[in-house]
Amino acid sequence: MTLLAVDDLVVRFRTRDGTIHAVNGVSFELEEGERLGLVGESGCGKSVTNLAIMRLLPKPAGHLEGGRVVFEGVDLAKVSESDIRDIRGKDIAMIFQDPMTSLNPVLTIGEQMVETIQAHRKVSNSAARARAVELLSMVGIPKPEARLGDFPHQFSGGMRQRVMIAIALALEPKLLIADEPTTALDVTIQAQVLDLLRNLTTEHGTALILITHDLGVVAGMTQRINVMYAGFIVETAATADLFESPSHPYTVGLLHSIPRIDAPPGEELVPIEGRPPDMRHAPAGCPFAPRCAWRLDVCWSENPPLRAIDPTARVVSTGAASTHQVACHNPPTREEREAGRPLGDRYHPAPPPSGALDELSMARVGASAGEPDGAIGETADVWPESSSVSASPSAGGLPIDPTDR
Amino acid sequence: MTKYIVRRLLSTIPVLFGLSVVLFVFVHLLPGDPATALLGQHATPELTARIRAQLGLDKPLYEQYLTYLSNMAHGNFGVSILDNRPILEEFGTRFPGTIELTIGALAFAFGLGIPLGRFAARHVQGLGDGLVTVISLVGISIPIFVLGYTLQFLLAVDLKILPASSSLDARLVVPPVTHFILVDALLAGQPDAFVDALRHLVLPSIALGTIPLAIVTRITRASVLDVANEDYVRTARAKGLREGRVDSRHIMRNAWLPVVTVIGLQVGGLLAGAVITETVFTWDGVGRWVFLAIQGHDYIVVQSVITIFAFIFLMVNLIVDVAYAFLNPRIRYA
Amino acid sequence: MASIASTGPVLATERASRGIWRDALRRLLRNGPALVGLFFIALFLFLALLAPLLTPYDPVVGTLADRLQPPGSPGHLLGTDLQGRDELARIVYGARLSLVVCVGSVLMGLAMGGTIGAIAGAAGGRTDAVLMRTVDVLLAIPGILLAIGVVTWLGRGLPQIMLAVAATNAPIFARILRGSLLANREQDYVIAARSIGAPRLRVLFRHLLPNSLTSVMVAGTLALATAIIDVAGLGFLGLGPSDPRTAEWGTMLTDSTQYLRQGPFLIFFPGVAIVISAIGFNLLGDGLRESLDPRLKR
Repeated sequence: MTLLAVDDLVVRFRTRDGTIHAVNGVSFELEEGERLGLVGESGCGKSVTNLAIMRLLPKPAGHLEGGRVVFEGVDLAKVSESDIRDIRGKDIAMIFQDPMTSLNPVLTIGEQMVETIQAHRKVSNSAARARAVELLSMVGIPKPEARLGDFPHQFSGGMRQRVMIAIALALEPKLLIADEPTTALDVTIQAQVLDLLRNLTTEHGTALILITHDLGVVAGMTQRINVMYAGFIVETAATADLFESPSHPYTVGLLHSIPRIDAPPGEELVPIEGRPPDMRHAPAGCPFAPRCAWRLDVCWSENPPLRAIDPTARVVSTGAASTHQVACHNPPTREEREAGRPLGDRYHPAPPPSGALDELSMARVGASAGEPDGAIGETADVWPESSSVSASPSAGGLPIDPTDR
Repeated sequence: MTKYIVRRLLSTIPVLFGLSVVLFVFVHLLPGDPATALLGQHATPELTARIRAQLGLDKPLYEQYLTYLSNMAHGNFGVSILDNRPILEEFGTRFPGTIELTIGALAFAFGLGIPLGRFAARHVQGLGDGLVTVISLVGISIPIFVLGYTLQFLLAVDLKILPASSSLDARLVVPPVTHFILVDALLAGQPDAFVDALRHLVLPSIALGTIPLAIVTRITRASVLDVANEDYVRTARAKGLREGRVDSRHIMRNAWLPVVTVIGLQVGGLLAGAVITETVFTWDGVGRWVFLAIQGHDYIVVQSVITIFAFIFLMVNLIVDVAYAFLNPRIRYA
Repeated sequence: MASIASTGPVLATERASRGIWRDALRRLLRNGPALVGLFFIALFLFLALLAPLLTPYDPVVGTLADRLQPPGSPGHLLGTDLQGRDELARIVYGARLSLVVCVGSVLMGLAMGGTIGAIAGAAGGRTDAVLMRTVDVLLAIPGILLAIGVVTWLGRGLPQIMLAVAATNAPIFARILRGSLLANREQDYVIAARSIGAPRLRVLFRHLLPNSLTSVMVAGTLALATAIIDVAGLGFLGLGPSDPRTAEWGTMLTDSTQYLRQGPFLIFFPGVAIVISAIGFNLLGDGLRESLDPRLKR
C-alpha cells in the first residue's frame, strides 16, 4: 500500500542574489512501514525535499514550484494550511539534526511534549503528561517523571535526540522523517539512537525516511536507498544492491572514498574530484558531468532520466525487491566499480563545450603541478586579492601569509 | 544561579569604588584653586572660606578622600552653594518627579517599541519594516531638546491639545506627601488633579522616551527575526502547532529576553536625558535642579547628582541582570 | 595515482570575489539608505569645510540694526538672529565647529579607549580585569551626564568639550578592541603565525588589529552621530564653548528659545542641522555595518 508518492517535485529558493535550484524533479514512492534512505552530500537537496513534503520550507525564499506530494491519496502540496497543520506531528513527524537547537530552551521537556499531544487530541493535562512519561520511558530515558520538568539544556546530546524521537512518535505517525538524526552526536551514541529508531519504527510499523550523508548509517538501517546529487535522484536501489553494484559514477565515487577495514593494504582512496555544483544555475545536461570521469559528449547536453539497469525488468518502485535504477548515460562496468575509475579506452572523459566548468581538469592540473596536497602553498592561490584583512570581522579567518617569517 | 548572582555583586564593588574616586576628583581636584573655580563669579571671601572648610581643602588628599567616602556612606553630600540646603534632602524631594517622568518614558518606549519591533519583523524587508526602520532611525537622531520643543510647539502651543510645560496646572495644588504627584493626587482624593498630572506627563514622556523607543524597536525586531529562524521554531511547526501558539510560546517567549537586558541601559539614558527634558518642559524634578545648578555655578550640586545617578544606574543594572538570570532557564538551572 | 593528461585549456573561473574591500564598497553603494546618509554627510562636510567661502558674514558679530530678519530677506537666506548675525553663516560655521569637535572627540575616544582595550585584550588576566573595571566606571555614568561632569570639572571650552565627549565614547572602543583581540588570540591562524616564529608585535599589528578595523569603522561612524547630539546637548545646557557668541548649534537653539515670539524660525534651523547630520552618520554607520559583514541577518 503506497503511503507516500512524490512526483516530480521542484523546489526553488528565490533570494536577492539569485535563484537556487534546490530540487529539480524528484520522484519516489514509499510503502507503509518501509525504511528509505536518502543519501547525498550537503546541498544536494535531500533535506529540502523533505521539508517540502511537510511544507516547512523557509519563508520567504523557499517555494514549492512543481510536482505533487501524494500522502494517503491527498496531494499535500495543494491542501490548506490548517489541513497540513493537522497532518504535521500526527501523521507525518520530523526530527532534525541538532537536538540542542531543535528544542525550545525556555520550555520544559514536559511542556513541549504535552503541547504536541494536545495540539492534535483533546486530552487533559494529566492524561497528556502520563503519555509523555510513557514515551520517555519508551525511548529509554531514566526517571521520566522527574525529567518532565527539566529544560533541554539539562539533557545530554543523545538524550535530547531521544526526547525528539519521543515527541515525534507521540501520536504514532505513519511516517517519520529523520533529517541527519545522528550527525551531531558522538559515534557511540549514534549507534544507540539508530538502534532505537530502527526498533521503534519496526515495532509501530512506522515508515521512515532517513536522510544522511553517511553511507555507514543507511547500511544498517534501510531497505532501500535513493542517492541524490544537485537536486536530482541519480540512483535508487535496494540497500544490498546499492552496495554490491553501485551504478552511478557518483555512488561509485562515494563508496570508494570511504576507507574500508577489509580493503587490501596499500589500496588508495579514490576521491571524487572537484567541488559541489553551484545551485544558482539551472541545470543543463547531467549535473555530475563536470566531475565525472565516465562522461561522454551527450552528458554535457542531456540530463539522463532514471532508468532501470536491467532494461527488461518491470519497474518496482518500493520494497526490498525494488528495481535498481540509475540516471546515467555511461554507467561504470563491474570492473570499473571495483577499481573506482574508468578502465581501458574509456579513460578519456569528454571535454566540455566551451564556457562550461570542468572540475576534473582543474583538479588534475593542480595535482600534477607538483604542489603537495593541502599545504600552505596550495591554499594561498585561493585567497582573494587583498590578503591582509579578513573577510568578516567575526570570522577571524585570515589567510596564513607564507612570507610571514 | 547563586554563583552568578554573587559574581555579579562582587564585580559591582570595584566599580563603586572607582566611581567614588572619579567623582571625588570631579569635586575636589579642580584645576586651579577648587574653591574659586567652583564659585566663579560668586567668589566672596566668606563663601570661599566656607567652601574650603566644607571640602576640607586644607587637608591632605587622601584624608579628603576618606572624609568624602565616609560622608557619602552617611548620606552627607554636602550642601548646595546657592541656598545652603543639604543636597540629599533636596534630591529626595525632587527625585520622585523624575521617577514619574522616567516611568512615563519607559512605558512609552517599551509599550510602543515592542509591538513596533514585532510588526517590523513580521513584515521584514517589506513596506512596514521599512517604515519602522525609518522611524527608529529618526528617533535616535533627534536630540531630546529638538524633539521637545517641536512637540511643545505643535501640540501645545499651536494645537493646544496638551499642556506645554510643568508637571501640574499652576492653579491646582496637591499637598506633597510622597512627592510623587500622581500618588499624592490620589492620596488627597483629587482625581481631576490626577488626570491633569497625567496630561502633563504625556509630552515630556514622549520627548524623553523616543530614543529608547527607537532602540527597543530595533532590538525587538532583531530578536524576533533571530528567534524566528531558530530550529526550535521549525520543530514547533513540524509538530503541527497553530501559528498563534508558535508565535507566543516559542517565538516571543525567547525573543523578549534580549529586550529585558536593554532595560537597565535605557534607564541610564533616561536619567541622563531627564536633565534636558525637564529643562525644556520646566518639569519639577532633579534634572531641572541640575540645570539651574549649572546656570548658577552650583557645581557641588551637579557633581553630587551625577554621583547619585551613577549609583542608581549601577543598582538598576544589577537588578536587571539578576532578574534576567532568573528569567532565563539556561542560567537559572545552569 | 596515475596522472591524466589535461584534455584542454584550464578555463578561468569567474572570480567570485574581487577583494573584500571592493566587495564591501559595492554593497555599500547599492544600499539606498546608506547613500542618503552619505549625501547628508557630504552636505555637512561641504558646509563645514568651505564655510568661509560660502558666506561673507561674520558668524560671531552682527549688526544690531538687522536683527530678527525673517528668512528670505534680501541678503539673508535664513534670516538673522537677535544680535543681527546672519543665520546661514551661523549654521555654516556651526557645522565647522561640529566637525572639528566631533571628529576630534571620536578620534580621542578611539585613541584612549582603543589603547586601553587593546592592552586589556592582549595582556589578559589581571591586567584585563583591572582595565575593564576602569572602563566600567566610566560606563556607570550614563551618557551626557559624564560629559556634563567633565565640563563642569574642567570648565567650558572646546578642548574640554572634546575630552568630555571622548570620555563618553571611549568605553565603546575599549570594548571593541578588547573583544576583538580576546576572540582572535586563540584562533588557529594566530597560533600558526606564531608557530612559524612571527614576533608578537607583528602578529598584533598585521593580524589581530586589522580584524577589529571593521567594527571600529562602524562604531566610529555611529559615535560621530552621538557626538553631534551630545555636543549640541552640552551647548543647550549652557556648557558650550567659552565664548557665548560662538556659532554652535546647541547654544543657538537655546538662545533662540528666549525670543520665540519674535523669531520662531530661528529655533528651526539649528535643530534641522543637528538632526540631518545625526541621521547622516547613523545611516552611514548602519550601512557600513551591513556591507562589511554580509552574513548579518537583516
